[in-house]
Amino acid sequence: MSVIDKIQTYFRKKSPWLLHFDCGSCNGCDIEVLACLTPVYDIERFGIINVGNPMHSDIMLVTGTVNHRNKKVLLNLYDQMPNPKLIVAIGSCALSGGVFREAYNVIGGVDKILPVDVYVPGCPAKPEAIIDGVVMALDKFSREKVKEKGYA
Amino acid sequence: MTQNIAQILAGIAAGPFLGGLISGLDRILTARLQARIGPPVLQPFFDVMKLLSKEKMAVNVWQAFCAYCYLVATAISLVLFFLQSDLLLILFTQAVGAVFLVVGALSSTSPYSQVGAHRELLQILTYEPLLVLVVVGIYLETGSFKISAVFNWHEPLLLKLPFLFLALGYALTIKLRKSPFDLSTSHHAHQELVKGLLTDYSGPFLALIEVGHWYEIMLILGLCSLFWATSWFGVIMLVSITYMLELIIDNVSARMNWRWMLGYVWAMGLTLSLVNLIWLYQG
Amino acid sequence: MTVEMLNAEQISAILIISPFLAALVCYLIRVSAARSFVVLITGGVLIISAVLLIPLTPFSLSPPPFLGINIHVIVQTLDVLLLLIILYFGFKYRHIVIKALALLQIILLLYCEFFLIQNKQDNSTLYCDHLTLVMVLIISIVGAIICFQAIPYMKIHEAHWSPVKSRQHRFFLVMMMFLGAMNGLVLSNDLMIFYFFFELTTLCSFLLIGHDKTKLAIENALRALWMNSLGGALFIAAIVIIYPITGTLALQQILTPANTGAKMFMLAMALLCVAAFTKSAQFPFQSWLLGAMVAPTPVSALLHSSTMVKVGVYFILRLAPAIKATFLSQSLAIFGAFGFLAAAALAVGQSNGKKVLAYSTISNLGLIFACAGLNTSESVMAAMLLIVFHAMIKALLFLCVGAIEQRIDSRDIEDMRGLYANMPLTALITVMGVIMMIMPPFGVLLSKWMAMEAAASNLYVIFMIALGSALTVMYWARWAGTLMSDPFAGRFRPEYQPLLTWTALGSLCTGAGLLSISAPWFYIKIIAPVMSGPYFPPYTVRDGILENSFGVFAVFPLSVVAVAGFVLSVWALKRASGARIVAPYLGGAQTTEPGKFKGPMNQTIKAEARNYYLSSIFGEKKLTTWINLGAGVLLTLLLGGTL
Repeated sequence: MSVIDKIQTYFRKKSPWLLHFDCGSCNGCDIEVLACLTPVYDIERFGIINVGNPMHSDIMLVTGTVNHRNKKVLLNLYDQMPNPKLIVAIGSCALSGGVFREAYNVIGGVDKILPVDVYVPGCPAKPEAIIDGVVMALDKFSREKVKEKGYA
Repeated sequence: MTQNIAQILAGIAAGPFLGGLISGLDRILTARLQARIGPPVLQPFFDVMKLLSKEKMAVNVWQAFCAYCYLVATAISLVLFFLQSDLLLILFTQAVGAVFLVVGALSSTSPYSQVGAHRELLQILTYEPLLVLVVVGIYLETGSFKISAVFNWHEPLLLKLPFLFLALGYALTIKLRKSPFDLSTSHHAHQELVKGLLTDYSGPFLALIEVGHWYEIMLILGLCSLFWATSWFGVIMLVSITYMLELIIDNVSARMNWRWMLGYVWAMGLTLSLVNLIWLYQG
Repeated sequence: MTVEMLNAEQISAILIISPFLAALVCYLIRVSAARSFVVLITGGVLIISAVLLIPLTPFSLSPPPFLGINIHVIVQTLDVLLLLIILYFGFKYRHIVIKALALLQIILLLYCEFFLIQNKQDNSTLYCDHLTLVMVLIISIVGAIICFQAIPYMKIHEAHWSPVKSRQHRFFLVMMMFLGAMNGLVLSNDLMIFYFFFELTTLCSFLLIGHDKTKLAIENALRALWMNSLGGALFIAAIVIIYPITGTLALQQILTPANTGAKMFMLAMALLCVAAFTKSAQFPFQSWLLGAMVAPTPVSALLHSSTMVKVGVYFILRLAPAIKATFLSQSLAIFGAFGFLAAAALAVGQSNGKKVLAYSTISNLGLIFACAGLNTSESVMAAMLLIVFHAMIKALLFLCVGAIEQRIDSRDIEDMRGLYANMPLTALITVMGVIMMIMPPFGVLLSKWMAMEAAASNLYVIFMIALGSALTVMYWARWAGTLMSDPFAGRFRPEYQPLLTWTALGSLCTGAGLLSISAPWFYIKIIAPVMSGPYFPPYTVRDGILENSFGVFAVFPLSVVAVAGFVLSVWALKRASGARIVAPYLGGAQTTEPGKFKGPMNQTIKAEARNYYLSSIFGEKKLTTWINLGAGVLLTLLLGGTL
């Protein structure tokens, strides 16, 4: 990796901004995500900010099942995120559809629509697991992984 | 001549470096006030560097133009400050940046951008008369608009211009985008307009706007520092205490709407300024 | 005869007489190509003559008798004829106020002519110092450029409107006549001759506003006529008062400091001030200017922003040395500042583009009045600079709005949303004009800076100027942003406009920009010489930086930096063309069509936005009554204070 790549990777890891999108979950995982922002877990220590805007974010946290309506929204939001970007699927609904897998409008987990980088299991996923998952995702900002995904 | 060049370079450098540090301190102190730990003090620099390394993405190319103009205008105004130039000229130069920020936001058709831009215009409308009156007060006291006259003045300006300092405080709160005046865009939590004015900026352009904002922070804190320009200790104490007060106000108040902001700040700020100016005029 | 041999008398004659001759030719020749040619030639002649006047300034002279008759007698006869024409219009449209005012003026004029004025010989009928020179340059250069643009504009105007017979010959008759009248007005030193040209511009304004002959146009033309006639009546009344005191009507002799302070003299000055207010559409006389916006846009550009409304401020600047340090001067400053603030507030609540420009004009004129009232060297210089730059840039903006209006059939700012997609170059020039109105280092802001520094010792004035200045930024920034509101338009391809339009817009835009950059040298060459008598040159110039003991404005260095910043930003714009373009954020609900999103029941909805016009606070209907009341109070103060 060249020097510039090393520098860019370093800064990308030091300042990951999140976009949190709820596809239609029971809000259990969402509450746990928001709990990470509270003084108990305080993810701002890692420079993580929950921006609500895909154009500002690096990592998209997705909870809930993907269905025929919100798949377009997911794709739109993913499209509006600037590269390099990562997807973290949180909770069993986002992983595979969870208990709602058999419902008529449910397509399944997030990976049916988007390329997921990290899966965080749980129902709901614990804040510690979510933080773990995000930190694991950060590793993918390194140059080789970025090149693999074709983000150049 | 060499002194001028040194001042220019100091002005260009002070914005990013000092402004970023103050921004970082801001976040740590805010976090501590909220019983959190907060990010490292260099976090704003990490944010800007990360943004610079992102893909270039925009809603339209005009936004790139406006982001650059904003940065250049705020940088020029800070450089003029370091060159100890005319205060009124500095105000007008800073206003160039603010207008370009608005025009850039208006160029996006997203409602968040549009409403954010109009709120930003209303914010400009609110604080600009106050800044002009503060500068007029400095003129009435020192006899000159030039910053060099302030530095040569024998006593701290705060003694004769206390109400004008309070009026400046209103302008400072609005400029720093602190509650209750963080209508058009705000720093941390996303707000009812997503990111308001800055919603459709991203990547490198957002980084430029952030650095421009640092220049603005330095400029307005510089204006505050003029009120105790007789000693370095005085400057640091005044600016620190003012900034702490701003943080506390930010954390205890909720965001208000533009009608309240316009009405309240004009009523309080203009009255305070007028009273102080009448004092100076008579004395 | 080479051009060097032209002396001041000949050039003054060319400046005043040639437009009248051209007007006659335009009216008689009904071939439009020939008429355009005449207009172009006359414009060129005017521009050259005005530039030739520069080295000859200052001068004063008396034209010899024409065909054996004294000039004064000719002018007074024409004046009576003019007033009879106005009276005729009063009868034609059955407007009692016009009839009354015209009659009043005729009576007073005849009284002056036969009973009052004893000696009709005066040594200096024409007087040109650098203030006059500045006005002549504006009238001739900006006026000529506007007439150039009027040629294609009126063709399209009549094509849209398709009258029974073309009325362009009438239009250009009056436009040319007007240019001659303006030149005559600013060059004249004699109050009677000034008054004649004053009334002639009133008549021209009336004819041009009513040009389209619609009911609305005639109504507004009549309103303009009676308000300006009121000014004329006050003017002749002031002459009646002044002559017994001074024994002369030569301005330069009237304005000696010996007369300052005498009660009747000050009353006459106050009446002249109010006459200037009616001409410059200050409150409460502003409604005629707002109504005048129904006229074709070259009329708005020429009369109602660059030249005719400048007559009032020019005249007050002339009077300024005579009223220095009097109560009249002080109340003039407050009145002017009030006008500045009130008009800016009203402009915030407007969405009609031409009305915004009209209110902005009234606002800037108020600022010039305030500067004249403050009566210090800095403020007088600020007033002169503001006259020059405002004339150029407001004319540019009016011409832009005219071109836009003809293309999109609307003058509402909301309809100009995203204009860049259809008319990229015009939109850019308009944005450039807006930038030159509100930003440093350009001329309008330079003069505003100077005005604020001059006003800082006067609490009422600076307070109102500070508020007004903030409001000004709001309505201009809003307009500039709306024009560029567009979801990415692709390659820049300038739209088609007639060549004369591009020439006019381009020359005004670059001219204003170049003049702004060279403001310090403009000051040294042309403005500083005016600073004599009770004034002195207020600034020193070093390396293009204007400086005095309490202020400094680095015009040239800032201009260089601004140009560099502009170039950098344009380069950034070019580089950003390689950026990935995405739709604006619409909550993820955007569709592939630009600006549309998926709403309830899966329907596609267009995302619409509208500007804040804050009509509940700044609406015209809401504020106008109060503002007129306030202005009435201030006017009473102004007049009553002299007694």
